[in-house]
Amino acid sequence: MKIVIIGAGQIGSNLVKRLSQENHEVILIDIDPQKVKKTQENLDIMAIHGSGSSINVLDKAGIKGADMLVAVTDKDEINIVSCMIAGRFNVATKIARIKDAEFSTSGEILTGRDLGIDMMINPELLTATRIAALIRQANATDLIGFFDGRIQILGLHIDEQFNFLGQPLKDVTQHFGELNFRTIAVRRRQQTLIPTGDNCLLSGDQVFVMAETEDIPRLIDIAGLKPLHIENVMILGGGHIGVESARLLEKDFNVKIIESSQEKSAEIAKGLNNALVICGDGTEIDLLAQEGIVEMDAFVAVTGKDETNIISTLMAKHLKIPRTIALVNNTDYIPITPSIGLETTVSKQMITVNAILKYIRRGEIISIDTLQGIDAEAIELVPKKGAKITKKPLKDIHFPKGAIVGAVLHEETVFVPVGDSRIQAGDKTVVFALPEAIHKVEALFD
Amino acid sequence: MIGAFLCFLALSMIFPLLVSLYYQDNTTIAFAISLSVTILSGLLLWKFTPAGDQIRIRDGFAIVTFSWIFMAAFGSLPFLISGEIPSVTDAFFETMSGFTTTGATILEDIEVVPRALLFWRSLIQWLGGMGIIVLSVAVLPLLGVGGMQLFRAEVPGPTKDKLSPRVRDTAKILWGVYVLISAVETVLLMIGGLNLYDALCHTFTTMATGGFANYNASIGHFQNPFVQYVFIVFMFMAGVNFSLHFRMLKGDLRTCWRDSEFLFYVTLLLIGTLVLGLATGFSSTFSTTGETIRHSLFQSVSIMTTTGYVTADYETWPYVAQALIFLFMFVGGCAGSTGGSIKVVRLLLLLKATISEIKKLIHPHGVIPVRIGGKPVSRDIISNILGFFFLYILIFYVGFLVMSALGLDMRSALSSVAATLGNVGPGFGVIGPTHTYATIPAAGKWFLTFLMLTGRLEIFTVIILFSRSFWKV
Repeated sequence: MKIVIIGAGQIGSNLVKRLSQENHEVILIDIDPQKVKKTQENLDIMAIHGSGSSINVLDKAGIKGADMLVAVTDKDEINIVSCMIAGRFNVATKIARIKDAEFSTSGEILTGRDLGIDMMINPELLTATRIAALIRQANATDLIGFFDGRIQILGLHIDEQFNFLGQPLKDVTQHFGELNFRTIAVRRRQQTLIPTGDNCLLSGDQVFVMAETEDIPRLIDIAGLKPLHIENVMILGGGHIGVESARLLEKDFNVKIIESSQEKSAEIAKGLNNALVICGDGTEIDLLAQEGIVEMDAFVAVTGKDETNIISTLMAKHLKIPRTIALVNNTDYIPITPSIGLETTVSKQMITVNAILKYIRRGEIISIDTLQGIDAEAIELVPKKGAKITKKPLKDIHFPKGAIVGAVLHEETVFVPVGDSRIQAGDKTVVFALPEAIHKVEALFD
Repeated sequence: MIGAFLCFLALSMIFPLLVSLYYQDNTTIAFAISLSVTILSGLLLWKFTPAGDQIRIRDGFAIVTFSWIFMAAFGSLPFLISGEIPSVTDAFFETMSGFTTTGATILEDIEVVPRALLFWRSLIQWLGGMGIIVLSVAVLPLLGVGGMQLFRAEVPGPTKDKLSPRVRDTAKILWGVYVLISAVETVLLMIGGLNLYDALCHTFTTMATGGFANYNASIGHFQNPFVQYVFIVFMFMAGVNFSLHFRMLKGDLRTCWRDSEFLFYVTLLLIGTLVLGLATGFSSTFSTTGETIRHSLFQSVSIMTTTGYVTADYETWPYVAQALIFLFMFVGGCAGSTGGSIKVVRLLLLLKATISEIKKLIHPHGVIPVRIGGKPVSRDIISNILGFFFLYILIFYVGFLVMSALGLDMRSALSSVAATLGNVGPGFGVIGPTHTYATIPAAGKWFLTFLMLTGRLEIFTVIILFSRSFWKV
């Protein structure tokens, strides 16, 4: 596919990287000549210097024969205009990053359809939604929904309280009765392991489980992991993400949001009903103490600076706050976050890029989600008629090492398969696999 | 990586092998041995060099330079094994002259050399013309991302425009256009009365702006004006940027006439032809006007595009004509063509930058951008070109000194350096159009071989390996 991407910011450049690795023809447009040069040197793509809303530049980028345009600059107007131009050039799919909620809410005067935009993506809102979900499901280090959120991948931190420490997984399963779940990956000392029934869990592991959303609270209960009761949430940083998170959480939780700029604080306070806005420097320990940081159950750092977020979250952990979430935008930092003690991080870039990739692959067989700090990928596959996987029950199939079936959507019913389950042609199946096993898995479904 | 290129080279030896089988010229065994030795060494190198997943920018330079040296070494095996060129120095010189599309030869009597060897000599020029690494990038999937670094180090010209987002597709397009134009030339030459073998060999060396010919009198052997005009047209085309050819083939003729490098290239050629024509015309070098025009056109195109074919002994021409031919050795083709030397676009930019400096003296506060095709050129590119030009001239001076020290007279020393560094081929004096490089002392041959490689890889790629900062971690 020939894909034009506008904006070489963090989102744009990550997207470019992923797409070019998947062998798409990628053309990147950015207004900053330095960024253009840097990307051109590091990746096998074509990078063009110029404005993404200029017809001339888009023409030079070969918009005429392009299959898709993704506009992810931080200016809504440029993204909208370039999608409109692309519409004139008959580009099939147009994706725009839109911050302004007015465009995306239904019933507005001007909708995405009017503007010729097929998918509007709001990274800040997506990130805030992920943060809110992580606060509500406070035991989870990661949460990713599949099949409209009916199935989730849940990251859990295993500690001494876990009831089945050191027992092989195949025995553990029996204790959960009719609850269906699958242990799909374990991260142990920076390494990703796709477990088999003989593996056991140790204290300190981070385990990824796939389960139906409604079963998750009981699952955690039986496992003996102490459910966290969260009442007080402190959010550091009154940017877009901070405010949206506060808005999503203020009904059910006691939210405090800290913002350093006086003007901005006033602005935020107007838009929020229950949350308390505090104006001050969030890195000052005195201010945090005054605002009762020790009584907090959750601490969320979402300022624009990764360093501030990381340091303040570490500070919060030091003060024994049970739940901490840090926004880490620089993807280069993500691999080191677990080793410095940040178990839950969110990345606006990763969330957005994954959402866009999921959209791009809709209709095709694959959709991929990556988990932070984990090498493995979750792939959505649909077996074709007569595919090897449909011929026998799962336990009799020689499934490749490093891959595991997570969940299946069979005619509107979702289930987590067990050894006796059989996958039928046309079922949407989520498979979790290490990169080297992906091709072998695909072969089974073909 | 280099191992993969060697395997590639070995595969291309199949063609001369077939030629030798067809003509029964007793070189079959030589080619068979060379092929197996090359492919074995290639596979061994491939297996025992760690396959780095990432080629850094600095690795690109080293890989390309060493690949070329290796390819010239293995490419010279058929000459050595068959005993046609017994000396290692001579064989390496001849092969490097082939790969770098120089066309300088040490063969005193070309016509007695077995046909398969001459075919091989032409084929390596053709491979070296568009670049064997570019070809590998197009064909081998294993190069993927790192291909860009190699591509950048091998393709000539100050800026490397990609024709397609993926370097692999760009390489494919370039080679596709190259093959297509070559096919057309072969057909036209056959219409002109050449047999398939001669047509192919000479197509290979025209399209690469190489200049190896199968006859002692070079193109002068073919006295048919039609054939000579076909050569003129295709030498001219080989000197044009291949991305321009691609655009033209797609029906986009306007960009061609708006391309300022192309226009400057045509202007220079016309001026050269005019000077040569007037000089030879007034001195009545040729008997008819038609001949005067044809020979002037042929020689100016041949030398400026750095092909180095000859139809007449230009050393008997008036001094002004000889001076022009010498100066044209410093021009070369357009960027992204198979021509060597400094390249038209660099000269054009140097000229424009000089004019803007003069304007700045008159208007000290003026903001005077250097433009090409209406678009301003960044200072980075200009300073890169200034550096290139200086280095080129510096190497030329040093080379002149070295060759003089080895006992060449001034005419021969100057032209031998200009002709090898610029990948032209023939020069003046002992290496003039009726002579060969055979009489140059061995040390001189090795030095000139080095100059050919430096010139083909556009100075920086090779010279960078001599800088201390390259080897520092």
